Amino acid sequence: MPEAIIKLEDVWKIYQLGKMELPILKGISLDIAPADFVVILGPSGSGKSTMLNMVGCLDLPTKGKVFLDGQDISKMSEDQLAQVRGKKIGFVFQQFNLLPNLNALENVMMPMIFQGKSEKERIERAKSLLASLGLEDRMDHRPMELSGGEQQRIAIVRALANDPEIVVADEPTGNLDSTTGKKIMEILIDLHQNEKKTIIVVTHDPTIANYSSHVVRIKDGQLVSNHLAEEKVLWSNNK
Amino acid sequence: MIMLGEYLKIAIKNLKTRQLRSWLTILGIVIGVFLIMSLLSLSQGLKATVLNQLRAVGTDIVMIMPGNISDIMTTLIGGMELTEEDLNTIKKTQGVQAVIPNVYKGILMKYQGQTKTVILAGMDLRNYLDIYENDIGMKIEQGRWPSPGGKEIVVGSLVPTDVFPGLKINTAAMIKGRQFEVVGILKSRGSKQDDMMMGLDMNLYQGITGEKKGAPQAIAKIALGFSVDQVAKNIKTNLEENARRRVGSEGGSAYSVLTSEALGSIVGNIMGIIQVVVFAFGSIAVLVGGIGIMNTMYTSVRERTKEIGILKAVGAKNSTIVMIFLMESAIIGLIGGLGGMIPGLGLAKLIQAVGQVHPVFYIEASITPGIIIFGILFSIGVGCLSGFFPARAAAKLKPVEALRRYE
Repeated sequence: MPEAIIKLEDVWKIYQLGKMELPILKGISLDIAPADFVVILGPSGSGKSTMLNMVGCLDLPTKGKVFLDGQDISKMSEDQLAQVRGKKIGFVFQQFNLLPNLNALENVMMPMIFQGKSEKERIERAKSLLASLGLEDRMDHRPMELSGGEQQRIAIVRALANDPEIVVADEPTGNLDSTTGKKIMEILIDLHQNEKKTIIVVTHDPTIANYSSHVVRIKDGQLVSNHLAEEKVLWSNNK
Repeated sequence: MIMLGEYLKIAIKNLKTRQLRSWLTILGIVIGVFLIMSLLSLSQGLKATVLNQLRAVGTDIVMIMPGNISDIMTTLIGGMELTEEDLNTIKKTQGVQAVIPNVYKGILMKYQGQTKTVILAGMDLRNYLDIYENDIGMKIEQGRWPSPGGKEIVVGSLVPTDVFPGLKINTAAMIKGRQFEVVGILKSRGSKQDDMMMGLDMNLYQGITGEKKGAPQAIAKIALGFSVDQVAKNIKTNLEENARRRVGSEGGSAYSVLTSEALGSIVGNIMGIIQVVVFAFGSIAVLVGGIGIMNTMYTSVRERTKEIGILKAVGAKNSTIVMIFLMESAIIGLIGGLGGMIPGLGLAKLIQAVGQVHPVFYIEASITPGIIIFGILFSIGVGCLSGFFPARAAAKLKPVEALRRYE
């Protein structure tokens, strides 16, 4: 197995609620290889989103270490973390989290602004990415004017804006009907297969697990299982 | 640098999406800057006007008043006067070329059926016409000076417009039952009081008013080759010694001898104080506006917490967030500043125009590039200052926590 792009080493996350300590993650260790497609499966409250936040450099562990490309993220400054998030990681959220006052094109261009890309470059890349997901006639629309599926596709395009190595998706289909959700999963799988992106999807929906060969089950803040099963390409059978 | 432009675009967009609130916040700044700008330009103008008037007076002229200059109200209200003896003392001081008593009195004057109270000034035209013209700055606009001894008067530039509208030279006016001929109109000297006076020969003045001795103030011209400051000092010493001798051992009265330079700095100081006070009051208004900005920005940070989380998730640094929020508040400040400055300076100009038409006050509005630049920088500064803490609060938000907030 190649060296892990993401490595969690005995990661603990403990929230302080007054005098009470509430551990959300209890010593999780996990390796994710480059170009892997990992589904993290667990019931709500299991700590899966918290874990994803660590992987996405949005949060730091209370104890333990998270390595990204061999670098310990807890040793990075806030600015370095922002830089890593902007450059190496693309986020897809359950709530889509598009900026409501910007149109689709502007939303997609936003991460590129923070990486100092020129306006010409931004517009070109944003347009071609949007077109690749069939959104070319939605560019001037604000999120409010778009369907959930369209919003999520735009969110995926935004995640890809800076051509990151990793895409993390937190319940990407959670707010969508099953047909639309399936389409979104197909896009993510396509990214995995054709663009060799590392994809990490967090979900409570076991059917999503069928899309992946690498399923990590988590419960009460601990890993229950970590299977690298044989490639089950149910999604293609359903086509 | 390119990025700053992008952040500016984001900031403008953010302000536009909550237009009503932005405008209300801007209004708060507009009012404050409006106040500051109108008051500043008027007080600046007042200062310039007064100093200009003083400048018309020659530098070799000193003004002598009884009483202490720091207690000027007592002198004016108490009716203290220079005695004839005082005037002689001044005249005898070495270096004094001439002493001109400055005498004036409010008196009823009748002109073509209208009777009004006017300020009548006695002028020693026989001896000192050149000093009136060259050192005090009185010039004839139309007509001529009264001939010494003739029953003739000269009037200030505002008399034909404001006091007796339509007054012309070579017409007759009645003062205390005697008839005088108006023979000249003076050029404006820049102050309402000066421009509304009537001047006539000293002997006639004394005859009409019955005041033959003394004067409230006197003007002395210092001879060429003498130090104005030194002679002024000597006049003061002589007057005070004289007074002491007269009254007895101790309690001699005080005299003020002011060179035009000293007068200028006194006026400058007073005007400076007025400006500071005016600025302080205006600043309170701007401060309130600034608090308004802060309030709006804090609300905005709360409201946009999730948005800030999203921006951070897609790679915005803390400094970027600070920048965007600071720009928003700076824009509010800038627009508020411009919005307040234009009507503020407009009001000042209006007051100036009104002052020129109605003889209540004369005040000039001074609108200099300095005031405009100051106004713009000041309002941007207030914007940045009040936006600083909200911006920092926004930048400090942890991305996970910010994202978790659902509106």
